[in-house]
Amino acid sequence: MEQPTESSPGEGSEIILDDSRFDVSRKVLLTDGFMTWFIKFGGVMVVAAVIGIFVFITSQVLPLFKGASVELDAATTTTEALPKGNYLGIAADEWMEKPLAIRDDGKFIYSDLVTGEVLESEFDFLEGDKMTALRIESGEDLIVAGTESGQVHLIEFSYSPTFKDGVRTVNEDLNLAFTGEFNGPVTKVSCGQSGDSRLIAVLTETEEGPHLELDLVQRKKSLISAGDWKEVGKTDLTETLRSDVAVQEILVTNRADAVLVVFENGEIDYHFRSGSGLNTELRQTFQPFADLNEKKIKNADFLLGDVSLVLTSPEGVNRLFSLYRSEEEPTRMFHQTKEFPALPDTPAFYSPSFRNKAFLTGTSNTATLRYATTETIRWESELPWEVTHALISRKSDSLLFLTEDRHFVRVPVDDPHPEAGIKAFFGKQLYEGSSEAKYEWQSTGGSDDFEAKLSLIPLIFGTLKGTFYAMLFAVPIALFGAIYTAEFLDPKNKVFIKPAMEVMASLPSVVLGFLAALWLAPMIEDRVPSVLCIVVLVPLGAFLFGMLWSRQPRNIKKYVREGYEFLYFAPIMLILLFLGWQMGPLVESLIFTVKDPNTGERVGDFARWWPSITGTAYEQRNSLVVGFMMGFAVIPIVFTIAEDSLSNVPDTLRTGSLALGASRWQTAWRIVLPTASAGILSAIMIGLGRAVGETMIVVMATGNTPIMEWNIFSGMRTLSANIAVELPEAPHHGTLYRTLFLGAVVLFLMTFLVNTIAEVLRQHLREKYKTV
Amino acid sequence: MTPFENSKSSKKSSGRGEPMVWFTGMWLSFGMLMIIVLLSIIVKNGFSTFWPSPVLQIELVEGSEAGLRGSSKLAGDIRKEQIRTTASETGEAVPEIQLFIGNREAYNTGFRFVMESDIKSRDFPEGIMRAERLEYGDMIGYPARLELADGSTIKSTDDSFASTLHDIVKEGNKRRHEIEHIEKDQIGAINRSMESIKMKRRGWESEEDIPEKTQKEMEEKQAELQADYEELASEAKTLRELQSANTLHYLLPTDGERSVPTGSIVDYYYPNQLNLFQRTLRFFKRVGSFVKEDPREANTEGGIFPAIFGTFVMTLLMSVAVVPFGVLAAIYLREYAKQGPIVRSVRIAVNNLAGVPSIVFGVFGLGFFVYFMGGSIDSLFFSERLPTPTFGTGGVIWASLTLALMTVPVVIVSTEEALVAVPRGVREASLAAGASKWQTIQRIVLPASLPGIITGLILAMARGAGEVAPLMLVGVVKLAPTLPLDTIAPFIHLERKFMHLGFHIYDLGFQSPDSEAAKPMVFATTLLLIGLVIALNAFAIIIRERLRRKYKTSAF
Repeated sequence: MEQPTESSPGEGSEIILDDSRFDVSRKVLLTDGFMTWFIKFGGVMVVAAVIGIFVFITSQVLPLFKGASVELDAATTTTEALPKGNYLGIAADEWMEKPLAIRDDGKFIYSDLVTGEVLESEFDFLEGDKMTALRIESGEDLIVAGTESGQVHLIEFSYSPTFKDGVRTVNEDLNLAFTGEFNGPVTKVSCGQSGDSRLIAVLTETEEGPHLELDLVQRKKSLISAGDWKEVGKTDLTETLRSDVAVQEILVTNRADAVLVVFENGEIDYHFRSGSGLNTELRQTFQPFADLNEKKIKNADFLLGDVSLVLTSPEGVNRLFSLYRSEEEPTRMFHQTKEFPALPDTPAFYSPSFRNKAFLTGTSNTATLRYATTETIRWESELPWEVTHALISRKSDSLLFLTEDRHFVRVPVDDPHPEAGIKAFFGKQLYEGSSEAKYEWQSTGGSDDFEAKLSLIPLIFGTLKGTFYAMLFAVPIALFGAIYTAEFLDPKNKVFIKPAMEVMASLPSVVLGFLAALWLAPMIEDRVPSVLCIVVLVPLGAFLFGMLWSRQPRNIKKYVREGYEFLYFAPIMLILLFLGWQMGPLVESLIFTVKDPNTGERVGDFARWWPSITGTAYEQRNSLVVGFMMGFAVIPIVFTIAEDSLSNVPDTLRTGSLALGASRWQTAWRIVLPTASAGILSAIMIGLGRAVGETMIVVMATGNTPIMEWNIFSGMRTLSANIAVELPEAPHHGTLYRTLFLGAVVLFLMTFLVNTIAEVLRQHLREKYKTV
Repeated sequence: MTPFENSKSSKKSSGRGEPMVWFTGMWLSFGMLMIIVLLSIIVKNGFSTFWPSPVLQIELVEGSEAGLRGSSKLAGDIRKEQIRTTASETGEAVPEIQLFIGNREAYNTGFRFVMESDIKSRDFPEGIMRAERLEYGDMIGYPARLELADGSTIKSTDDSFASTLHDIVKEGNKRRHEIEHIEKDQIGAINRSMESIKMKRRGWESEEDIPEKTQKEMEEKQAELQADYEELASEAKTLRELQSANTLHYLLPTDGERSVPTGSIVDYYYPNQLNLFQRTLRFFKRVGSFVKEDPREANTEGGIFPAIFGTFVMTLLMSVAVVPFGVLAAIYLREYAKQGPIVRSVRIAVNNLAGVPSIVFGVFGLGFFVYFMGGSIDSLFFSERLPTPTFGTGGVIWASLTLALMTVPVVIVSTEEALVAVPRGVREASLAAGASKWQTIQRIVLPASLPGIITGLILAMARGAGEVAPLMLVGVVKLAPTLPLDTIAPFIHLERKFMHLGFHIYDLGFQSPDSEAAKPMVFATTLLLIGLVIALNAFAIIIRERLRRKYKTSAF
């Protein structure tokens, strides 16, 4: 009908003005719209980023739990087959570009996996002789060959890369290092090297029967050349052989300190060589598969480090024997330490890793990559080829197979963290050389074949230990202090108590750590009895004094105003502290006495008394010091939250209780405290969260040794201190790096969980007050 | 009659549990005492570092173990008096003093414990001099003579000795600054130009690809720079020779003459001739040089200026990063997000992040900022310098961002609290007057909650300034040759590593070879750090109290 704006043109502009007055300017609308969008987007992003921390850290940890990935589809195969013949062994270069196969007629045949060509080496060491025994010591780049005429040849193989235009070419080289003479055809050989000497074990077949000899060869290094290998001496071990059982295999460790003779009946003789000469003793004879029907051994060889022996029976039973000293034995012996799932069939090949305790084994058509320490199968698969030999590359990044139809196949492997896994981090682990499974953290070691021990349990234990002692010290002070402040303290005094607590809360932990280590630790090092006296004397003194005081008549009591007790008690406490401190040495000489080994008298010495009674260590930087200083860091947090929740209890409850005739302590203890209990619990939990994550105090005030004992006079290593100490040195994306990230995740989860529970408790408390 | 007939029993019941009140009061007393003791230890030790205490000379009894270099005399200032229980079987308590004897090059040790029973006599010789040197810590001895470059000798008994020494030392200090200027600034500039030419060369695929003209230009420039460098280097060399031209010969308190080039004397005084006023002056002088000088001798001497500056820059950058994000998130959570279970749980999560250990943030900073972001920046923009990382290693920017992430929950929480505290009526009035939502927030809510936001920021700064553990992972170093802010373009060097007060304490106290000698410096640094942190906190408390008072009296 009528349109309002046009109906009254005469009255004109005023009304029009009136209406447009309510129009919001475009600019304002635009700004508002933009800001709404911006804040929503930005806010969500910030919150997401903050919470994304956890996601990122976890993403860094996940690769630890992945198995090995072996891409059979990405295999590289030689186009040309090796010449016909019976191949006894294979070796390869670091990049697995030019594998070498050794034929039973003594020919060395290289295949180039880049160009695909096969090339027979000119190298000939036999000179008309016939090869009867062969062993490839890949770890030492050495081929040991025995001949029919009784000769043993040590052939060193090496590869050197040359780069041209960024393309790598690998050049092979063979070098006959030594030839030794023996009586009769050689049937088995093995060799181990230690420094500049090599120990060769040789089994020959003479007319009188088998003959086992050890041959020691050495070389003198000069400045210019490495020198030639010369024979030093021989020793005969024939009498240790069985007359009725043939020898199946001989093994020499790569430190040349042991010779293992494997017999056809499944027995193994362990000969130990002491010193650098030829003295050997037969230390142990054991039968790894004694409990099975089939006691024979099909395959026996060492793992990296040559301390463990991987054994496989003809039926595929796969066991690991390691050298360690058990309590009843005088020396290190082989004991079974692990048992892996059996192979489906007779083992066809075995190769240890050159980097870690992994090994590759399998039957002719299956292969499996296993990790010895964690007793896990990293990878297992059927193979599309029939395999006769296999090898793990030096960098553990590829596998090499020689197939039945004489082709080399190289398969890429990606297994950066074989030693990781739930079991390694949280389970008891039997490490090489130790006699029992235990939790252990030791991430770095001196030697190449050192195995990182990455159990987080000692660190979690240390974290809990530190937290426990901190809370033991902090909770009474904070809670009783809070109760006093909230219930009994004159409100006027709160004005300085609360800021004092805030000052305490703001002290940087590096300052506390420094004071703990350089002031507190030396001070109480030889005054532990004094500390004990104080711990007993001060609370007892307070209680007794309170009792005495409350018995006094009113006209005396009036001198102390209620709400000021803590101030009046301060001088008494100083006296008690002084008394306790001075009493320490006396108590020490009366109770904590030990026999002095020099004089034979009994003298008071707590630092020696404690170890002699408990059998645990006494250290200067110990949990007592950490507990005290970490407690100092925790007190203000617990105090503030507990005090808040006590003060927030409605006054009606308090006045009601007092009106009914309850004393102020009864009111506090029976009425206020139960009402605020959820808040107090949450205060303790938040304090716990702080103590769990505290880093600098622990780094500075303990010895950072990852031990597992509750002893208050020894140190600990916590998760957080461990990260601070080790992460700066950890190689990016290595196993240690990721394990430390895992430590951070554990720490995150621990504190987050504790804090969330605390927060929920507090919310619950708030709901409760609503109804009161 | 009184209303309470059985007054005796009522009295008893009102007193029940009274010992427990005392018992709880004891814990509060104990807590307060702990704070006082800790603070006073820091304050006492921190200040005594700068106080020029008199030098005591003692005469030892024959055959005392404390004697040095076969002499029966020892001189130094008393650092500690204590009662030690001897290690012998009798275990008797022996009073002893610890002397700081200085002259480390002669004695190989800075401190000496002397049993009271070994002291034959004590005195405070007037003529003993204490000099701060560039090497081997302080000298404590009797000046004998000055041997000047022109071959002349001035004996300490001569009238002109005092004024000549004063002038020479002053001149030496001036010259040292000159040498520093030449070596650090001028030669440094040449090095940078050289480096940039080298980088330019590397920008080409190979040497052959460089156009001939550019090649020539570069070579010319390089030759020019080389000539400049040699000139400056020889200038510095002459100055250095001048520094060691004059020598001060002095007698050790344990007898035996030593000499020190005057160029390596930073400052000297006669500690036993000072009166209280002069001591106070010297105290402030030492405080001043502590605050503004660079550290010397593996950080155990000199000042801590780079650490103060590093802490300052890091905290500043952190604040710049933390405020916008924290405030944005808080406004979103409080004003825009729909309040419900999701926002509530997000709030709990953010709250709890404030309780997550700082080292976890350090781990995140190392993995995400340093390796991931820094590594990406390097491969994108600084690929010619690889494999030497530029941003892909710890630096002040990553440290600031890590701490910003760590403290952002603090800012979010306190900003939210401040936003909630703004009365509903104010908002409604603004909206009713026709303001848009953003206008209300911008003009009404934010100004009102500004003190709260500032409180949060200050608390975040206090936490950031005192935190060490995460910094150890993301870029703090024991000695940084350069500052993150300087006069060389582009002025702000975000990728540089930096020094930090907290880390300085850790490093000095625990990584230095002679922790006893480093102790005074550690206490002084500690005093400075806690002074800073407590001041920041106190500031935050004051603002918060004002805020509270403001809303208490507010009419809404």
